[in-house]
Amino acid sequence: MRISTLFYIALFGVGICAHAQNKQLLYDFSEIPQALNINPGAEVDFKWYTSIPALSGISFQAGSSGISAFDLFANDGVDFNTKFRERVLGGMTTKDELSGTYQLELLNVGFRSQDPSVFYSFGIYNEGDAIGYWFQDYALLAIDGNADQLNRRFDLGDLKTRGEMMNVFHFGVNKQLNRKLTVGGRAKIYSSVFDFNSTRNKGFFVTRPGQNNILSSTFNADMQWRTSGINALKDAESEGNIGSTVLKRGLFGGNLGLGVDLGFTYKVNNQTVFTASILDLGFVYHSNDVENYTLKGDVTTEGVEVILPGALADPNRDFWQDLVDDIESIVPFENNFNSYIAFRPTKLNASLRYNWGEQVPRSADCDCGPNVTSNNRLSKFTNGVGAQLYMINRPRGPQSALTAFYLRRIGNIMTVKTTYTVDKFSLSNIGFGLNLQAGPLNMYFLADNLLAYRNVANSRYASFQLGLNIISWGKN
Amino acid sequence: MKRYIQRLFVAILCSVVLFSCVEDLDFTQYDELEATPSYEASILYLEAPENVINLVNNNSDVFSQNFNFDAFSEDVFADRVIEGTITYIVENTTSKELEITIEFLDESGNITDTEVFFIEEAPTANIQREIAYGDAGRSIDIIKTLSTIRVTARNLGDNTSESNLNDPMITVKSSGKFRVRLK
Repeated sequence: MRISTLFYIALFGVGICAHAQNKQLLYDFSEIPQALNINPGAEVDFKWYTSIPALSGISFQAGSSGISAFDLFANDGVDFNTKFRERVLGGMTTKDELSGTYQLELLNVGFRSQDPSVFYSFGIYNEGDAIGYWFQDYALLAIDGNADQLNRRFDLGDLKTRGEMMNVFHFGVNKQLNRKLTVGGRAKIYSSVFDFNSTRNKGFFVTRPGQNNILSSTFNADMQWRTSGINALKDAESEGNIGSTVLKRGLFGGNLGLGVDLGFTYKVNNQTVFTASILDLGFVYHSNDVENYTLKGDVTTEGVEVILPGALADPNRDFWQDLVDDIESIVPFENNFNSYIAFRPTKLNASLRYNWGEQVPRSADCDCGPNVTSNNRLSKFTNGVGAQLYMINRPRGPQSALTAFYLRRIGNIMTVKTTYTVDKFSLSNIGFGLNLQAGPLNMYFLADNLLAYRNVANSRYASFQLGLNIISWGKN
Repeated sequence: MKRYIQRLFVAILCSVVLFSCVEDLDFTQYDELEATPSYEASILYLEAPENVINLVNNNSDVFSQNFNFDAFSEDVFADRVIEGTITYIVENTTSKELEITIEFLDESGNITDTEVFFIEEAPTANIQREIAYGDAGRSIDIIKTLSTIRVTARNLGDNTSESNLNDPMITVKSSGKFRVRLK
């Protein structure tokens, strides 16, 4: 089986969705230090924490909004070509996508300043993200062709894809301004390993009745494919040192960028909390190992045209080669090495939470029990319910998801959170998160779309996050 | 307590694994996917006005020209083509009967296919003909080895008369529709 075959099967086999990067279970889960990474203005009561490198902040999400592996590869006796035609060609649209993202923390440390209202955090994580929208008209051209489709425009803009891998170095500051408001910001340096994107393609291919000849074929293209780091990885693969190349490019040896996260938590009253954050407001400037490809022009042809008597002027004229040369000069396929800027997929999170029930004494070494009103760090309620909004900027425009959640604290050792998320891809996404605290050892496991585990192959979305941290509240 | 929590953690992970199901999938079905699209486009357009035809004696070749045409013999096409048709439309608005011969030649100059059109003078002169290649027609190898198209026009009438129609001429139009196997 060829690599391309395995690639597509792997993508479909993963099962899964378009709200990739939505971490609705982790968001506003203040017992978990990694929640600071998706809201730098989250409430935090740790003295310090450190994650276990490579065993924390692990997240993986992948999805196919239009089809699942089961839809195509179920052993159901239906002819595969029939399934492909009905469920892929007939069932998917250009808004459907295949996407995946992962994060792996390499370092994540946080500590409280001498000013107890200020908390610093910093770290490094590796992130990969890719998205490709269903290229409907390209697929139709490949499966059906253009025959008997006069005047049908095949949209070249259906090719929309992007992907990247990078290390992110970050430093965040969280400050509790008063008992109502906590704000935070996180500066980021992106060190890109590789990047590819082709998201602004325009053009069409159409066959019409000809003016002179029977048919007229028009190709109008304004297409671009930009890459950085790909050639370096290809060279490294052939030289057998791909690991060191990835490491080098991820440690400032590739392309660099800057970004910022901002967030806040605002207590509307003693029991109601509003939070919001905006993440990855930034860009990467690609100038190292860049190679771009372009196809731009507008040409119409009716085949080889021979009009007498003029055509007889040069008996040795090669009409076919002239036609080929004309088309290639009008619609040239070229490459260049121009630098480019790639903006990061910016994410927006917001939540409104209502707390009630008993107040659990905080682990923090502070005077912040249930009856304290003057201290900034009040104890937490045992129950929380609310709603979250998530939006991400994608090549075909913003995508959003709405989540309802319930959070329950069981003493200071266990917190569970369950979510129900709706978006245009799923109406049955139920997630469950568990956070356990055993002394200083913190463990969490968050899994999404649990109903899909009845038949994982039929799932269009899967994600999980897990991690191990050491946390101190400064108690003796 | 720490051990209890660790066990609970493991138990949850095991539960997810044990109680999740994966229906039987057969990824080898991908090998059954067939992609055999049909593509169509114009091939050759030839136009000769009556005044050019009148320059040549009757029963002589008005025109005979070889046109290099490598589109079908390119590997990307020749290795994949399964079957297809070539459509010709010959229109004659001149005042004389004409004979149009279209020959396909391979790279060695061998004639592999010949199509002859006898076309009457205007106003009734219009021929449309579809030639099939592949299982339902002539050998597809004719298409795969096509390197040159030779078009010959012969005047079967006089060389003095002129049609009353506006801009009288003989035109040969052609297009191809071929099914190819991409997978």
